[in-house]
Amino acid sequence: MLQAIILVVAQMIVLLAVSPFLVGLIRKVKARLQLRRGASVLQPYADLAKLFRKQPVVSTTTSWIFTATPYIVFASTLAAGLLIPIFVSITPLDFAGNIIAVVYLLALGTFFLMLAGLDAGSSFGGMGSSREAIVASLTEPAMILSIFAIALTKGSTNLSTIVHKTALLEGIATDPSPYLMALAALLIVALAETGRVPVDNPATHLELTMIHEAMVLEYSGRYLALIEWAAGLKLAVFLSLIANVFAPWGIATTLAPTAMGIGLLAYLLKVSGLAVLIGILESMFAKLRLFRVTDLLGVAFILALLGLLFFYILRS
Amino acid sequence: MQNLFLLLFAGYIGGLLLPLCFPTKPAVQNILAHGSAGLASGAGILLGVTGLFAPEPWTASVQSTIPFLSFAVRLDSLASLFVLTISLVGLVASIYAIGYVTEFYGRASIAALGALFNGFLLSMTLVVIADNGFFFLIVWELMSLLSYFLVVTEYEKAEVRYAGFFYLVMTHVGTAFIILAFLIFFQAGGSFSFEAFRHPEQPLPEGIRTLVFLMALIGFGTKAGIVPLHVWLPYAHPSAPSHISALMSGVMIKTAIYALVRVYFDFLGGQFPWWWGFIVLVIGAVSALLGVMYALMEHDLKSLLAYHSVENIGIILLGIGAGMIFQTYGLTEFAALGLLAGLYHTINHAMFKALLFLGAGSLLYATHTRNMEEYGGLLRRMPWTGAFFLIGAVSISALPPTNGFVSEWLIFQSLFLSFHLPTVLLKFMLPLAAAALALTSVLALACFAKAFGISFLALPRSSHARLAEEVPITMRIAMGLLAVVCVLLGLAPMVVVPMLDRVVTPFAGQSIEGKVLALDGWALAPVNMEFSSLSTPVLALLLVALSMLGLGLVAAFGGLVKQRYYKTWGCGINLTPRMEYTATGFVQPIKRVFGAIYQPTVKLETELLEESRYFAKRRHFEFHIEPVFQKYLYDPVVACFIGMAERLRVIQGGSLHLYLAYIFVTLIVLLLFAV
Amino acid sequence: MQISSHIGSQLVDLCSALLLLTCFAIVAQRRLSACVDLFALQSAFLVLTAALVAFLTGNHHIYIAAGLTCLIKVIIIPRVLKKVIERLNVKRELVMNVNVPAGLLICGGLVMLAFFITQPILPLGFLLTRDSLAIAFAIVLIGFFTMIARQKAVSQLVGFLVMENGLFLGATAATYGMPLIVELGVFFDVLIAVLIAGIYTNRLQDAFDSVDTSHLTGLKE
Repeated sequence: MLQAIILVVAQMIVLLAVSPFLVGLIRKVKARLQLRRGASVLQPYADLAKLFRKQPVVSTTTSWIFTATPYIVFASTLAAGLLIPIFVSITPLDFAGNIIAVVYLLALGTFFLMLAGLDAGSSFGGMGSSREAIVASLTEPAMILSIFAIALTKGSTNLSTIVHKTALLEGIATDPSPYLMALAALLIVALAETGRVPVDNPATHLELTMIHEAMVLEYSGRYLALIEWAAGLKLAVFLSLIANVFAPWGIATTLAPTAMGIGLLAYLLKVSGLAVLIGILESMFAKLRLFRVTDLLGVAFILALLGLLFFYILRS
Repeated sequence: MQNLFLLLFAGYIGGLLLPLCFPTKPAVQNILAHGSAGLASGAGILLGVTGLFAPEPWTASVQSTIPFLSFAVRLDSLASLFVLTISLVGLVASIYAIGYVTEFYGRASIAALGALFNGFLLSMTLVVIADNGFFFLIVWELMSLLSYFLVVTEYEKAEVRYAGFFYLVMTHVGTAFIILAFLIFFQAGGSFSFEAFRHPEQPLPEGIRTLVFLMALIGFGTKAGIVPLHVWLPYAHPSAPSHISALMSGVMIKTAIYALVRVYFDFLGGQFPWWWGFIVLVIGAVSALLGVMYALMEHDLKSLLAYHSVENIGIILLGIGAGMIFQTYGLTEFAALGLLAGLYHTINHAMFKALLFLGAGSLLYATHTRNMEEYGGLLRRMPWTGAFFLIGAVSISALPPTNGFVSEWLIFQSLFLSFHLPTVLLKFMLPLAAAALALTSVLALACFAKAFGISFLALPRSSHARLAEEVPITMRIAMGLLAVVCVLLGLAPMVVVPMLDRVVTPFAGQSIEGKVLALDGWALAPVNMEFSSLSTPVLALLLVALSMLGLGLVAAFGGLVKQRYYKTWGCGINLTPRMEYTATGFVQPIKRVFGAIYQPTVKLETELLEESRYFAKRRHFEFHIEPVFQKYLYDPVVACFIGMAERLRVIQGGSLHLYLAYIFVTLIVLLLFAV
Repeated sequence: MQISSHIGSQLVDLCSALLLLTCFAIVAQRRLSACVDLFALQSAFLVLTAALVAFLTGNHHIYIAAGLTCLIKVIIIPRVLKKVIERLNVKRELVMNVNVPAGLLICGGLVMLAFFITQPILPLGFLLTRDSLAIAFAIVLIGFFTMIARQKAVSQLVGFLVMENGLFLGATAATYGMPLIVELGVFFDVLIAVLIAGIYTNRLQDAFDSVDTSHLTGLKE
């Protein structure tokens, strides 16, 4: 029991600590690709520290939903992060929810962010919420289908089981193609869900293009700090999910200290690699028009569908 | 149990008759009718609970002089579950009504409203415990008729009369199919008793069984509101007074789910070809998707909720359909899981839909309008109603850790188990149904972000909303009760699952309590911990703890600096409600992306200033979505009937002698036949 | 031997899956030059598949076909098409007969159809490549669909070439390649077809100031 609690706390600290770094890393990669020097990768930590100390301004139009939302978003995103394996393949909290629970915990945060966007009464917030609604609705089916394709190959929807089995090379033998399709689909989903180019642009405050930034436009001070941290956590959750489900190399499958050390190191390398990849992808593509996002997410859906099809039909 | 049943019966009858004794005092009528109904439904709750845990079904019957009809009741576990649900919602609706019907003093007869309310509750209870086909049809018809009268409470409005008429026609079409299905059983078994339906003397041939399946699907489907038989529902449910809407959407349509489970799993014995389950599954998926999509475009709060009933019936059918498919292939364990998930969602939907309808009723009570575009800022004016509505909205959007999430999660798991099925088509279609469910639930989330955000947040959009006040205490208590039930149903699956397990065990032939619950009931783990697990109590605890952590981080890193209040930045001018995002604007991207389904027509007229054509003097915007089903499915049928009626008008001479001649000729012909 | 053939067939499947993936990318892509690039990529995967089959089965004549594919479909045809696009100054397809998400869904349906149709004949094929047959069939159908859905002559041409790729994959999968002489004839035909289509597109541009083939309906009177 005590061991489990320590593991959970350790996982939480790793997630909290690593998420601003990932955001900073992506920014750094983008800056270097644009031939700028860019801010230090540690800049997001400084931003958070500063935001926490600043006096928040809250709109007089708002209700308690507005002030409660940052805490709810922070808690739900972090809770989702605690359900997935990070550096040990057996998560103590695995019994509390499987991969569907992860998806819906993230949806809980989205729901309250959408409400908060509407609460201040400005058009920007409403615009952000409205756009978030359509992006979220188009990503969800693709996400569920790709999850299903992955779950099938291991005969489980529990993340720990999936990761553990993959790490130990157990499970139903299958072709690489279903994995490939599911991976591609999940990557697109991750870009859309974490508000990255080509779906959304985290670096802009232009009303034509922003989605997530528009929803949280009215936030300041500690509330903004929590929201920003939660956004970083969401990124970390998706990257960890992709890294550990598709490439659980190096993850600790036992609770031996050396194994966990290696697991932690491997985890940091993997998510950093993915963050660099996202930085490169963001530099390669332009942001899509909102109504062209459907094309991209349509591709994700079809990919997930094909993954499923390939699993069933090949070698059936 | 008999005593409880008699108490329930007496309570409803008392509530039906007593108010009529005080013709001039609406306040007394109100208390008598709804107090009595509350007492009766309290007895109903006890009856349901004892029935669920009774080792043997309780039966009673009174023979009648009419052949084939006996007033037989049988309270098995399935019936008990529905009695419990109906009574629970009935109790809450009674409490709510005491405050709510004060609205109708002087406008409608409170005695009539109360009497119909009691009769409606009684007829629903009898529907689920009837043990005789004839008796069932009588109470079914009674339920339909009473609800029709309740729908037309505000008969002075033309649209209410239209809604009532539409409902009346559709429900009778449905009843006709049910009668046919029952007559088939009658012919095979020689009796109207359900026991004979269950075990007919000679087994029904395959073709006839299929016919029964289809008849029941159409007949009960009409009442349940499956697509494309759903068209009456968004008219009828919102037209009734809100506590009646809560009953209709919350529990009346569930009696159809009860009847479907009864016919398919009980009477037909769970032996059916795979395509039955497949049809149910497809209908479920289509109903769920179209229901939520039309709900998104609706800006009348009560119509929006009514469309969500179509959606949730679809979700329930997804669970039941999956159960039927598994049953076909002898995977009884999974069949039980699918059925259990469907029934879990049935109860959950009853609770949160009733809660939401009561919330909508409170808004109507406070603002006198159902149009969402005239709400806004109500959370500050009606904090209790707002909080309860939010709980309902989170539940219906299936967000953890609420009850809606638990049942949808179970349905997901049963769909995911499809890889055990032998045919590739089904292996492939069930995950697609899961994708449809995912899309449905996230669209529902968007829809309730809209419903709650536009109604309760930001600035009031009209004087109705600005002057709104919190509703009376009885209405708040009623909503609060349902909110608590919603939360409990989500956090305590260890209590609910064993109850549902007792219901599904006789049909699926296997108890799965041990396979669904794990860790002493603290986690759900259908089929085993290896495959999937979920623990909502732990999730809820985790969410609370992590929110505290957030607060702790704030305190640690910056201290809780006093926050400053200032008005929202409106790009340099003062913010007015007209600048806010409207409900129409909110769903515009969705309307555009799913344009193929909505077929929207948009009309924008702009009147420009004469001095400068860059400034508009007046703008008029309207958009409509094509009512596809009404236009392409119903209108032709109606036109066909009207055409036939026109032809038949030839024989209507209008003269009394002519009609007498018709009767005379008919008589002669009949006599000739008799010879 | 057993293991290597298993891995070999998995690799072939993976390559054909990648071929199919590029098909979907082409369906979703509006920019014409990107469509051509994707076609080149697809052809490269085709070369890879053919080379793999040649290596695993020891049918050396497939190497020649693969080499020719590389030369014609990866290098020459994309260049010709790029030139055409440059001269015509059409960058992207704005109006489509079927919009992209719907097109993707239809193509998903076509893949399922292809799988279900080829199911009965799968056990008859060679162990190594039998799954590729279904994919090849799906690619042919998607290529055909692209020709119907697109309005610009260039993208219709890409659709045609995708179909041809599907046929080539099918031939490799079903019979380990056609006789070399037939293969050569087909390559020659494709090359000529592309050249003719290129000229035809240019003429279309001159006559209508557009490469929209729907203008051709005006010719019927």
